[in-house]
Amino acid sequence: MIMAEIKVKTEENISCLDTLARNPLYVGLAIGILAALVQVLLISAGGPEAYGFCVACHTRDVVNDAVNSVAGTQLALAAISQNAILPVMTVIGVLIGAFVSARYYSEFRTKTGGIASYIWYLLGGVFFMIFALFMGGCPYRIGLRIGYGDVIALIGVIAIIIGVLVGIKIATTMAEREG
Amino acid sequence: MAAAGWLSKDVAIIAVPIVTLILGLIIGWLGQRSGFCSIGGFRDFFMFRHTRLLYGYLTLIIGGFIGYLVFSLITPAAFEGFFWLLKKGIMPVPGAPADLTVTAYIVLAIVGGIAVGLIGVLLGGCPLRQVVMTAEGNIKSLCFVIGMCIGAVVFAALVSGWGVTLLKAVGIA
Repeated sequence: MIMAEIKVKTEENISCLDTLARNPLYVGLAIGILAALVQVLLISAGGPEAYGFCVACHTRDVVNDAVNSVAGTQLALAAISQNAILPVMTVIGVLIGAFVSARYYSEFRTKTGGIASYIWYLLGGVFFMIFALFMGGCPYRIGLRIGYGDVIALIGVIAIIIGVLVGIKIATTMAEREG
Repeated sequence: MAAAGWLSKDVAIIAVPIVTLILGLIIGWLGQRSGFCSIGGFRDFFMFRHTRLLYGYLTLIIGGFIGYLVFSLITPAAFEGFFWLLKKGIMPVPGAPADLTVTAYIVLAIVGGIAVGLIGVLLGGCPLRQVVMTAEGNIKSLCFVIGMCIGAVVFAALVSGWGVTLLKAVGIA
């Protein structure tokens, strides 16, 4: 009897947590605060500041560190990843975390596309990374930098919004042409 | 003076991969549950006036600000540049190619931002969403993530230098 009650309580708590996790409002808040927490924990290992979470830069650190160790090159990466025993593992964590979550909630579905779409996505990824690194971060680090008081990042977000509007225009024009 | 956080340098260099891995696990789980996407937030707002994802991106900025403010009151040494505008003026937080002029950084932010927004909206998501969709079994997103890995090496080996040379050639770097 008591066991059953505890089980119900636990399930209620989990579903309550899941309601929070499903709302981007709280997820955004959590990512922002966690990124600041990571900085206060790890900044002694090296900069830059406002570097708690960035998909583009953290991928760059992992890939370039791997290439540097295999090929003996000197590709640039952030000081924190240079100094630490291993680079920042955030993106690998995201992959594992999202995979476990998708499995746990039975939302894992293999979705394929045509060869042409694969090539477009591959090229898109290459150019996305290059332009994001020129800007100094993906939209997430740009957001963190705005929170840190960086005006250039604010200009970056305005530019992202312009890019999105242009992209919507292109997408709707293409859709109209195809009927 | 080097920035100092809660962990000393000797501990921090070992803790970096562990702490960031845990951070990634949490964000990956939350990102999968919420469908969190920054560029998707702008797209949904401008196309359908949906504010769900957009508010997520706004609370990320607010959450970052609150976090930096609270932790910088506790440990000021970990946040030497906070609040950046008041301490360093109109300069970016390091991360983009180093030692350029303000004009060059503004040009890079505008060109980079427009390209990032454009590519993101045409291919259906910002990098976090692409990584999460990869973990959900989307092969197209996997291609995007592989492209990002290639882009990182190409940028560091070639394009970063070309960009800086170009900016210097037109006299704004």
